[in-house]
Amino acid sequence: MATTTATIVLSSTDLLSDELSLTSTATLTQAGNSTGLTGTEGLARKTVTGGHAQYTLFDGSNFAADKAHKIYLKNLSTTAAEYFLITINSEDVGRLYAGDWALIPWSAHDADNDIKIDPSAADMTLEYMLFTDE
Amino acid sequence: MATTTAAVTLTSDLMSDSISVSASSTLMKAGTTADGLDMVDYGVIEIVTGDQFDLLDADNPASSPIAGVMANKANKVYIANHATDETYYVTIMIDAQNVGRLYAGDWMFIPWGAEDANADIEITSTTGTNKIEYALFHQGRTLNAS
Repeated sequence: MATTTATIVLSSTDLLSDELSLTSTATLTQAGNSTGLTGTEGLARKTVTGGHAQYTLFDGSNFAADKAHKIYLKNLSTTAAEYFLITINSEDVGRLYAGDWALIPWSAHDADNDIKIDPSAADMTLEYMLFTDE
Repeated sequence: MATTTAAVTLTSDLMSDSISVSASSTLMKAGTTADGLDMVDYGVIEIVTGDQFDLLDADNPASSPIAGVMANKANKVYIANHATDETYYVTIMIDAQNVGRLYAGDWMFIPWGAEDANADIEITSTTGTNKIEYALFHQGRTLNAS
């Protein structure tokens, strides 16, 4: 069985009056059991030449529904104002600004449950990886 | 300005060569490298089975002293499920759109645009009671006068 882990560290010395140091490690397993995820797509990069157009990064119809897929995204832009708008189906999730990353649980709930990206400028690059529960 | 960093490390042996991906970002206000996110909402709550709850409300009602977060900014949301039974999970939705399932031990870290009053982060437990830890890093709220 494959073992895939995801660790997050959130830290700040001046956001609160005491230091913030939060660490969490998850072992990525299949839905409802302790078997590790065994599929992946990526690690990959996509450079989108045209700005402000929506692209489907992952199509919900291509993956098993209501599972424990995980998506990693990182905006490789170094221009502070540039962002990818992340959308699921037609619902905006949020803006991933330059240098930001995200780890999103994705259920691929139905065929329309696509993960879409919309860059705010031309020639932006997104790094991404999908761990699949098939 | 506050300086808050979010770092992730992904490791795996599911390929013939090992996977090790790391990233670290400083949580900045939208469109700037000079000013960090300096506000946080943090909590732990038990989610019982049955109803869907607004874990984070994009636009709290006027009766609440704390109204919604500023829309279309660089807000970040961290959610961790502290359940230990592997069959337990919560479903995360935004404005009724299914995002994904957060199983026991899982965590997530996402940008949140809160682009309109309906863009709440909603949570439903469909198995047992799940203890949820959450943090919202944001750059401001509109406050309701008392």
